Amino acid sequence: MGSRVSNRSPIGGTLVKWLAGIIGLIFLFPIGYLIWGTVTLGDEFWSTVGARTTLGPLWNSLRLAILTTLACTSIGTGLAFLVARTDLPGRSVWRILLPLPLAVPSFVGATALLAAVGPGALVSFLPRIDGYWGAFFVLTFLSYPYVYLPVLTRLASTSPALEEASQLLGGGRRRTFAKVILPQIRGSVIAGALLVFLYVLSDFGAVALLRYNAITRAIFSSRLFDRSTALTLGLLLGLLALLVAASQRLITPGRISITDMNVSQVRYRLGRYRRVALAGTVLPFLIGLAMPVGVFVFWVFRGQPTASLGYGGWGDDLGFLGAPLLNSAAAAVVAAIAAVCIVLPVGYVGARARGWLPAAVTSAVSSVFALPGLVVALALVFWAIQAPGVLAQLYQTFPLLILAYVLHFGAQSMQSSQAAIADLPSVLDEAARTLGASRGRRFLTVDLPLIRPGLVAGGGLVLLSTLKELPATLLLAPIGFQTLATKIWGAAEDGFYAEVGITSLVLIALSAALTWMIVLRRQPAELPKRSG
Amino acid sequence: MNTSRAVGNRRLQVDSVSKTFGSVAALVDVTIDVESGQTLALLGPSGCGKTTLLRVIAGLEEADRGRVLVGDRDLSHVRPELRRVGMVFQGGALFPHMTVGANVGYGLSQRPDRDERVAEALRLMDLVGFESRYPDTLSGGQAQRVALARALAPEPDVLLLDEPFSSLDAELRIRVRSEVAEILDSLNITTVFVTHDQEDAFVVGDSVAVMRRGRILQTGTPSALYQRPESAWVASFVGEANIVAGLAEGKLVKTLVGPVEIDRPADGPVEVVLRPEHLVLEGGGDGRVTAVEFYGHDTAYTVVMGDDRLSARRISAPVFSVGDSVGLRYAGPPTAAFNEGV
Repeated sequence: MGSRVSNRSPIGGTLVKWLAGIIGLIFLFPIGYLIWGTVTLGDEFWSTVGARTTLGPLWNSLRLAILTTLACTSIGTGLAFLVARTDLPGRSVWRILLPLPLAVPSFVGATALLAAVGPGALVSFLPRIDGYWGAFFVLTFLSYPYVYLPVLTRLASTSPALEEASQLLGGGRRRTFAKVILPQIRGSVIAGALLVFLYVLSDFGAVALLRYNAITRAIFSSRLFDRSTALTLGLLLGLLALLVAASQRLITPGRISITDMNVSQVRYRLGRYRRVALAGTVLPFLIGLAMPVGVFVFWVFRGQPTASLGYGGWGDDLGFLGAPLLNSAAAAVVAAIAAVCIVLPVGYVGARARGWLPAAVTSAVSSVFALPGLVVALALVFWAIQAPGVLAQLYQTFPLLILAYVLHFGAQSMQSSQAAIADLPSVLDEAARTLGASRGRRFLTVDLPLIRPGLVAGGGLVLLSTLKELPATLLLAPIGFQTLATKIWGAAEDGFYAEVGITSLVLIALSAALTWMIVLRRQPAELPKRSG
Repeated sequence: MNTSRAVGNRRLQVDSVSKTFGSVAALVDVTIDVESGQTLALLGPSGCGKTTLLRVIAGLEEADRGRVLVGDRDLSHVRPELRRVGMVFQGGALFPHMTVGANVGYGLSQRPDRDERVAEALRLMDLVGFESRYPDTLSGGQAQRVALARALAPEPDVLLLDEPFSSLDAELRIRVRSEVAEILDSLNITTVFVTHDQEDAFVVGDSVAVMRRGRILQTGTPSALYQRPESAWVASFVGEANIVAGLAEGKLVKTLVGPVEIDRPADGPVEVVLRPEHLVLEGGGDGRVTAVEFYGHDTAYTVVMGDDRLSARRISAPVFSVGDSVGLRYAGPPTAAFNEGV
């Protein structure tokens, strides 16, 4: 195997494999540290597991995740069907607008809800919506795109012949949907639903701000004074998340996989349901994106007395945003570049090597992406606090923060670079070899230019995720290092809605622009229409 | 670049090379010998190991056994980037992100006279004016010439071509093939090229090695292969051939088309090679015409005689039609005969 792989890999098969192996081990560190930490707790672990302070938050998280997943699955699938397969008015516009709530981080969505309804908020005569229903509401309207996007993509590639056959055989619309369309998109629906489930389990921002005692909030509040509870909860949450992620692999989407790209799909006429359908399409978008933006704009203009250095209203100096903006940008850019570089050898091994190594290292990297950010950060915090010698000084430093981002989001860059490397024809490397090019020259002149778009796309995903990240930043940022996310968090806790408003608008704008550039522009283009 | 070439010994020898992939024997004890400046065509059906042999010569695969020598240099364990063996890959394998000029200059990065050499290689391949074009704007024939220019620019000791014409359509293929044959002739470079097409092999190769199942069955000039095949398989792979049974007595064989003269004396049951163009049709025999295909400059007839189905070609417009009774007669030079079952 050695000689064959080194023949195909331009930067030294064995060296790259060793590097990838070491990187894989580093990515196993967070969950490994939690396991080790809980094992050393001994009996204390078992008494903590059985305690009400553990089981309560765990159950709270599960029931929130289950309900939110059900809601997102219905909304996401319905919207995808309306946009992809009916004569919904303005569907080419909705196609682009509907995924945009993805650009709103959960803590921003929660802040918007707090600033909108309740005493002291925009609609002050109503009671606050928080706790279970508040979290459910916010998370549902921010996460339905996780179902909407894969189902939409799948609906664009199913075979129209099957639907036409069903109709010709006398199957009505309902029957065609249940017996022909649904089985074809089932895999994508389930994949999206699991993503939502994972997202809700991992969420910290919304549940913390809305004071719902989910497992992440319990970890956050117990981390300083009750190490054993925090460790135990962290491990349970981590294992649960890994279980969900693993089950996603078992349920492979597209088991019934007659795919037909670039065909015109059957479109169903909505008839008298057009208005209802349109209202049903507008509503999720309004709640998921327009409402938060509207509330923030309101507070920005209306203004509000604040602490001396903050933002009090229209016309105030926006200089206070400078540092958080710069910090967010710096952290995101550095994390993106670091992630791309660090994960590149894993991409090579994943795309080219044989045997057990590629599966092992790619799973290691992917697993950290499935872990909640809070859990990754918790492991690094507990390790850094107890680390021997100079390593202890890493706690609350910029490098450790970047490491957390790289570990947590590295998988996004890995998938993208691995795909780019797998697309690289090995004959180009061979051609360069016969022309006398050394390994280094081949990598720099042939591989790198050709995989660059993939690397940039992967880096962009890391950039976007880092920008929206809250819990790891709260736990690991150096003292005084404020990002847009932590600025919003702080101001929201203090109820400074005007300041929250302006900061959130900046974050949403940045994130929406990046989401559009990186994620949505790559969606399949609108297909030619055809009625059926 | 042909003029400045130092004429040294660039004889290519592949000595008893074997290579297996898992349980598949890709090359079995393969030996070839290409004189300096000559062109050898490796001809065989797909999967016969010819591309593997080329990759072993380039160093892209390592042989399990045997040696590869150029002149008196043993290259068996030299890395491909140091072998001075140029290769033109199937489909060209041009770097898609580089211009034609950058592609051709890729193997010359260290040379001070890079620009002149690139210009010269482009002139040689009739590609002047294409320097700043990108590969995806080139036609198939142009891309193939760029690939050849790129392989030749560093002045390799040996040039390898892997199915260089297979991606071209029929008409272009004939033109590019003649051009390449001409260029290889004028450059006087030791060349091995792989093809599954007998015409390619005959037009471009000074000699041809026929490969099957990892072995070289026969090596020779095109005319020697065609006229004196050493096995029935080679006879039918190299050109069209009727293989018929007969009874040999010295230099004559009794066959269903009458007596046929053979090139080496034999005795007993044999198989005889009858090229279609050497069969003459005559009216009123015990054969029946079952197909007539008129190609313009000649006509192909299929004639069924007893259990045999024979093919005959005459340079004329169709004289017989389907259903006619005809007789066949052999009217060619002494031909090859093999003991049956070989």
